[in-house]
Amino acid sequence: MRLRAEVNGQPFEAEVDSTTSLLDVLRSAGLTGTKEGCRIGVCGVCTVLVGGLPVSSCLYLAPCVEGADIWTVEGMAEREPALVDAFVNREGMQCGICTPGQVMAAAAAARETLPASDGEIRRYLEGNLCRCTGYKSIVDAVRTYLGG
Amino acid sequence: MRLACAGARRRPMTASSLPAPPAGVVDASRVDARAKASGATLYTADLQPDGTLHAAVARSPLAHALIGAVSTQAAAAVPGVVAVLTAADLPAGLSGRRVRDTPLLATGKVRFTGERVAVVVATSAGAAEAGAAAVEVDYDELPAVLAAAAALAPDAPLIHEAPWRYDGAVVSEGDHPNLQSQVDEGDRSEVERALAGAAWVVDRTYRTPAGHQGYLEPQAWLAVPSGPGAVRLWATTKSPYRLREQIAQCLGMDAAAIEIEPVPLGGDFGGKGAVGEAPLCVTLALRIGRPVKMVLRSGEDIIATDGRHPSSIRVRVGCDAGGALVGLDVDGLFAGGAYAASKPIPSVNLHGVADAALGYRLPCFAIRSRIAYTNTMPKGHMRAPGAPQAVFAVERGIDELAAAAGIDPVELRRRNLLKSGEADAYGHRWPEARGVETLDAATGVVMTVPPPPGWLAARGVAAYARPTPAPGPTSLRLEREASGRLMVEVPIPETGTGSHTVVRQRLAGALGVPPASIEVRQGSTGTLGYDPGVGGSRVTVGMSTAVDQLAEAWVAAGGDGPVSVDTQPGDDQPALAYCVQVASVAVDPGTGQVKLLELVSAVDVADIVRPASHRLQIDGGALMGLGFALLEDLLEEDGQVWASNLGEFKLPTAADAPALRTVLVEGGTGVGPANVKSVGELTNVPVAAAVANAVAAATGCQLRQLPITAERVYWAMRDREAG
Repeated sequence: MRLRAEVNGQPFEAEVDSTTSLLDVLRSAGLTGTKEGCRIGVCGVCTVLVGGLPVSSCLYLAPCVEGADIWTVEGMAEREPALVDAFVNREGMQCGICTPGQVMAAAAAARETLPASDGEIRRYLEGNLCRCTGYKSIVDAVRTYLGG
Repeated sequence: MRLACAGARRRPMTASSLPAPPAGVVDASRVDARAKASGATLYTADLQPDGTLHAAVARSPLAHALIGAVSTQAAAAVPGVVAVLTAADLPAGLSGRRVRDTPLLATGKVRFTGERVAVVVATSAGAAEAGAAAVEVDYDELPAVLAAAAALAPDAPLIHEAPWRYDGAVVSEGDHPNLQSQVDEGDRSEVERALAGAAWVVDRTYRTPAGHQGYLEPQAWLAVPSGPGAVRLWATTKSPYRLREQIAQCLGMDAAAIEIEPVPLGGDFGGKGAVGEAPLCVTLALRIGRPVKMVLRSGEDIIATDGRHPSSIRVRVGCDAGGALVGLDVDGLFAGGAYAASKPIPSVNLHGVADAALGYRLPCFAIRSRIAYTNTMPKGHMRAPGAPQAVFAVERGIDELAAAAGIDPVELRRRNLLKSGEADAYGHRWPEARGVETLDAATGVVMTVPPPPGWLAARGVAAYARPTPAPGPTSLRLEREASGRLMVEVPIPETGTGSHTVVRQRLAGALGVPPASIEVRQGSTGTLGYDPGVGGSRVTVGMSTAVDQLAEAWVAAGGDGPVSVDTQPGDDQPALAYCVQVASVAVDPGTGQVKLLELVSAVDVADIVRPASHRLQIDGGALMGLGFALLEDLLEEDGQVWASNLGEFKLPTAADAPALRTVLVEGGTGVGPANVKSVGELTNVPVAAAVANAVAAATGCQLRQLPITAERVYWAMRDREAG
């Protein structure tokens, strides 16, 4: 079936099956900033925004985003340079494989709570695993971006 | 029930109150930060040249079985499938980092659940996986040997027929045929005599589970034919030069025909030194003549790569009436899994076990570390291999000895930690040993996070000493690009630690140029000499030493390149670095749930090349230690990995992380011109013992098995009440 949606503010079309994941649609279209992690909706590596809400694109079926407004890290980095700056300046990463998901979670957090406490940020980021950093620098980055 | 801090000097030297970095050190942002934060960084799984075929493997559902008929027709009929191959279709070479015992595909029999039996190549990853699922295999099940002790029993079923015949084997025909390797140090009879005369002795056995490194980027390979018999390979490897050699050995190729290309890693922690499916992908690409890519699914990676060894470690330790240790015996038994191929060091063992005797003054000691072949996932190296297990055992043993002797556990350690100029158990004299200083720094921190009302609370301490190695061989190249920028080529991938940024910073300092004027690029194995890869806590010390030589060569060449250096080990001596951690825990008396409220990590440091990277290694290590202490267990039972995905195999989340307090014990003497002590494999090690010691202090229950789950604590408390 033909999927029509908007990705990063641009019209987007792709041929998909009823069982194709949004993750595979995005990556097949060259948007490889969204990474594949656990593929069961636990690790958060594949987080994107659908209608402004963070979702695990590995579990989100492509037909469900028909007509939706989707944002990936590539588009968000252009739209919100302050978000990228916060992760760069607070060293909110090491290996970087979880970083696109953390960035998208931070972008989603900005819609919900401003400003947030560290505890709230930590709860918000619970769905985005990081094995490298111990999280403190990621929380710092998110707090910086949120204006805390 | 609280850890006594009486007499400890208060040294509130937190990281945030440290003086500014030394003059000339500019702590600029990471070289890779912006690309990573904007999704532009390409990892192996993101690469896909035109015409790429995808490979997936059919895996054994059984732990030990003879392979009968294999039917590939149904797989071959799946739309998009190009080839279905079994061991009979492929070269018979074996692969490994030291011991070469692993076939490309299971040959004759399968030795663990998850072993690759057939490989399917297709035009899409989905078609390859569908094909792999359609491969039909007749198995004749054999009795499986799942635990190390059972494997080394006299009449145990054999996992390999003649393991001593494998290239690189460290066992001989007289050994038990299920033995992978054994390290035996010290004098056990001397320890027996010492313990017989000791005032206090404990004899306990501690257990830790199988684990996984937990990197979030599953292992992946992309092999691209580049000429007759030649191939370029992008791989999730931390040791490109060694991988090239290992592929060449396995496939009988000339190593020069294999070029390992640069690509960053999405985490490593020891797991990405394995050979993995690299030889399989290379042989498929050469055979078919097209690029072949294989990306493991996360669940495959968890059940079938090279995780952490489960352990059973008996500790016997005694002290005299004054609390001086008289002897230590550590006897570790590890289930090594079906193949020994993932262990790189010459002993094919885990150096952390032998290192567990380093930190204390010991009149005598005995260390034995046996690894058995078992019908479980092959085990490899994970961040300070063997040390988290062995230090958990020894540091629990020290605490149990303190309890028996009626001596405060901090005081018992203070009396016995090695001092500068003293010799360790192996007779090596360390000019600097700052265990007591590090202990005092750790216990001197005022911990402030309160326990939830009604919970039991206490603190526990644990110590670890690790040598920072002398710099080994590596190679670097520097040139000026047409744009005028300097470009330094390094032989190691950026695994995440910040190594490339450390290189830039050190080079900028040595040349007196702004860091931003230097670009750091990973070279391919075709462009640089040799490097053993990332590991063994050697990157910062090795790279900074080589960078200094590179800068000298650059200046000698008149500031114009290109220049290359291939460094060899010099006369630098290793240095000893201590890490002492204090865990403040709360235990819910109703459920047994343990909450780590606060974790102090005191780290013995010399100079710090890049404080931001250094701190992240400390924090990330500490949280990995928390996972080992409280959460992570692959649940290897009945020949299956039950925690076979990240939903079941729990990694710590942002909300699990306690307040991480770091105290840097400054002023140490490190290694090499940069005067550094390694930090990457320190803070993940003592956490588990510190937590368990705190739980013991809070509840009176001696937890001797990891992870410390609510269930284990609950039943330990109930058993204790029942007497």
